[in-house]
Amino acid sequence: MLISVTNSIQPDLLALVRDPIDRDALIQHVRAAEDGAVVTFDGCVRNHSQGRRTLYLDYEAYESMALGKIREIAAHIHEKFPVHLLAIAHRLGRLEIGETSVFIAVSSAHRPAAFDACRFAIDTLKRTVPIWKKEYFEDGAVWADGEIPLAPLETWAAKPAS
Amino acid sequence: MARYTSAGYNSLVSLSSQSARVKVLFFGRLKEIVGHAEDSVDLPDGAPIEALFSHYGASHPELARFRASLVASRNQEFAAWSTPLHSGDEVAFLPPVSGG
Repeated sequence: MLISVTNSIQPDLLALVRDPIDRDALIQHVRAAEDGAVVTFDGCVRNHSQGRRTLYLDYEAYESMALGKIREIAAHIHEKFPVHLLAIAHRLGRLEIGETSVFIAVSSAHRPAAFDACRFAIDTLKRTVPIWKKEYFEDGAVWADGEIPLAPLETWAAKPAS
Repeated sequence: MARYTSAGYNSLVSLSSQSARVKVLFFGRLKEIVGHAEDSVDLPDGAPIEALFSHYGASHPELARFRASLVASRNQEFAAWSTPLHSGDEVAFLPPVSGG
């Protein structure tokens, strides 16, 4: 009973961080006695991009807006999927090959909701959250081709602010 | 046209007319083109975001080249280019996003 009450008021953990992401802490944050599933997404820094060898990445964000958009994603997920808790952390600054750039953990009583919500979270984050990645190669650096965030303008802007 | 000359400050209007001071933020490649991350600008109250962008496009032609791929925001929300600006607003021009 106490556990259930505690977890029902425990909020999602949503963060932009500069230090390495503690994946276990995020999993533990969402995992509770009433959950039958925890689904995670671990976004890692790949060692190649469009046929070139990547040396490292540098992420920057419009931090206040990015956090606001991540909160919107979380709120939207709770409306749309029967999940328990979410943890979403995106790292900023220089990241080396193999490091985690974004980590998402979702808990739910039954696995379908956690799978669906986790997929929705990363797909929406990549399309709508103002974060930018600069890729460094042996012969120079480029800002990654990104996605023009049209979706929120078309779908969410029409929704009254809540 | 009144203009301050201090770094990072511009004015599109005479200070005697009704003006709005807005904060402007640049990210990613736009920050590299403009040369700084933040600016403060006076413009006529109610002027659209588009007019603010044109101001920067005039002094940084390379910026104007990216116009079609940019989205604007006002006070941390995506905003149409026709959105009118008022004093205290925070505007950003956002290149295609590439988080994740």
